[in-house]
Amino acid sequence: MALLELEEVRAGYGPTSVLHGVSLSVPEGQIVSLLGANGAGKTTTLRSITGGVQWTGDIRFAGRSLRRMHTEDVVRCGIAHVPEGRGILTELTVDENLKLGSYLRRDGAAVRKDYDRVFEYFPVLRERRGLSASTLSGGEQQMLALARAFLMKPRLMLLDEPSLGLAPLIVRAIFEIIRTINTEDGVAVLLVEQNARLALEMSSDAYVLEVGRVAVSGSSSELKGNDAVRRSYLGY
Amino acid sequence: MQELLQQIISGIATGGIFASLALALVLIYNAMGLVNFAQGEMAMLATFAAFTLINRGVSYWIAFPLTLVIAFAGGILIQRIVIRPVERAPILTLVIVTLGLATLLNGLAGFIFGYLPRSFPSPFSAQTVNILGAFVSYQDLGVIAVTAVVLVAIYLLLQHTTVGLTMRAAAHHPEHSRLLGVHVSWMLALGWGLASAVGAVSGIMVAPILLLEPNMMQTVIIYAFAAAVLGGIESPLGAVVGGVIVGVTVNLAGAYLPFVGGDLQLAVALAIIVAVLVLKPNGLFGRPNVRRV
Repeated sequence: MALLELEEVRAGYGPTSVLHGVSLSVPEGQIVSLLGANGAGKTTTLRSITGGVQWTGDIRFAGRSLRRMHTEDVVRCGIAHVPEGRGILTELTVDENLKLGSYLRRDGAAVRKDYDRVFEYFPVLRERRGLSASTLSGGEQQMLALARAFLMKPRLMLLDEPSLGLAPLIVRAIFEIIRTINTEDGVAVLLVEQNARLALEMSSDAYVLEVGRVAVSGSSSELKGNDAVRRSYLGY
Repeated sequence: MQELLQQIISGIATGGIFASLALALVLIYNAMGLVNFAQGEMAMLATFAAFTLINRGVSYWIAFPLTLVIAFAGGILIQRIVIRPVERAPILTLVIVTLGLATLLNGLAGFIFGYLPRSFPSPFSAQTVNILGAFVSYQDLGVIAVTAVVLVAIYLLLQHTTVGLTMRAAAHHPEHSRLLGVHVSWMLALGWGLASAVGAVSGIMVAPILLLEPNMMQTVIIYAFAAAVLGGIESPLGAVVGGVIVGVTVNLAGAYLPFVGGDLQLAVALAIIVAVLVLKPNGLFGRPNVRRV
């Protein structure tokens, strides 16, 4: 059974509907990418999962329906959502941001180990622990967002365009760490990306959204190999 | 010289009272961008609760913390019942709601307790002690000590506990905080409870000086506004520093400027508000948003 399942999800903002029946699933421990042009509904799909927007249809996580659940309770089920714009609390310090990732956990020893791993992945965060998060560069903020999500010890991460606005070298490093977290901890990832090539390299399955519907889906290698799909939907 | 020192210390004591109420205003302003005009009346009502307890024979130092607990619960209740239904309304709606709440609480206190000013006990003696040649009353020193303890406790709670961290997170970025599992609505309620308790301290401290009656806090809240604006309405530390500055300034102006005397002290506070808003709208500690572009 899949860890996350969306079934005919329709969602929108007020009278404007954005998703017209999206179905997809993320298997336990896998990376799945969600691709598509601007305005296709990728971000809205993620926001539906964590209850940031009203939806109908059904969304199930680990067999349990998320219908009518508040964002904070969905998150507490084990879903870490790094939103568009990274969701950094810029009034707080780097350390306080990290602490907001781990504060719900009761496994103290494991938390300390996870902090060590975070600082091993992102040494720059250790150097900046006491500084205001607003002083971090874009890449550093993305690292902080990812580190914080990792410290939540989720079963599933929702990542909304982690590469946005970052230099290629930093993007590589960040994706490398996403892969490490996925393989070492078995954290499943639903990855929204504009950079289709990079996303397909990382993921096992992929879905391509077009104006609120799944236009194409399949294994990532299949989609990568299909020239027609590549040209018409992925633009490279 | 001694007289100056005397006036300054007594100004710090009144400043501590203003600071408590100003801090209450700042806590709610931070949580929801709202100036709570009912803060003073909430404090007044809490003081009546303390008065009732003490009159029933409860000792002062038991009635004091008990009142803070009652005020805390009352603040949460007000947030849940009165504020929450209009939480997402425009700010002007919220302001009007707090004004209505102020009138309501004021009338409620008048209805229950009447408008006759009552003397409120002070646990500190009115005797003076000689500090560097200045005669300072135990009353003033006691007020300074109590408010200092309360303010430090609030600081520690906000800056060094997990619940304080989640409260600050919820206040600054409700949406992002929800994604981290913070129950934002409850954090707001907690903020109201905390503000209500801190405000109650100012009521209990000022009651022995002003005499307790339903309109007792109406001038105090103006001084608290001045303190909060001076400190930069978003800064808890600013509220405290602002409170002390306003307390000392008003006291000195009353003592040394003959035309101010006792009658125009409130005008000094208003002058401070206007001057700050014109010269330094962010206040002393209101930080401009620093961010790397």
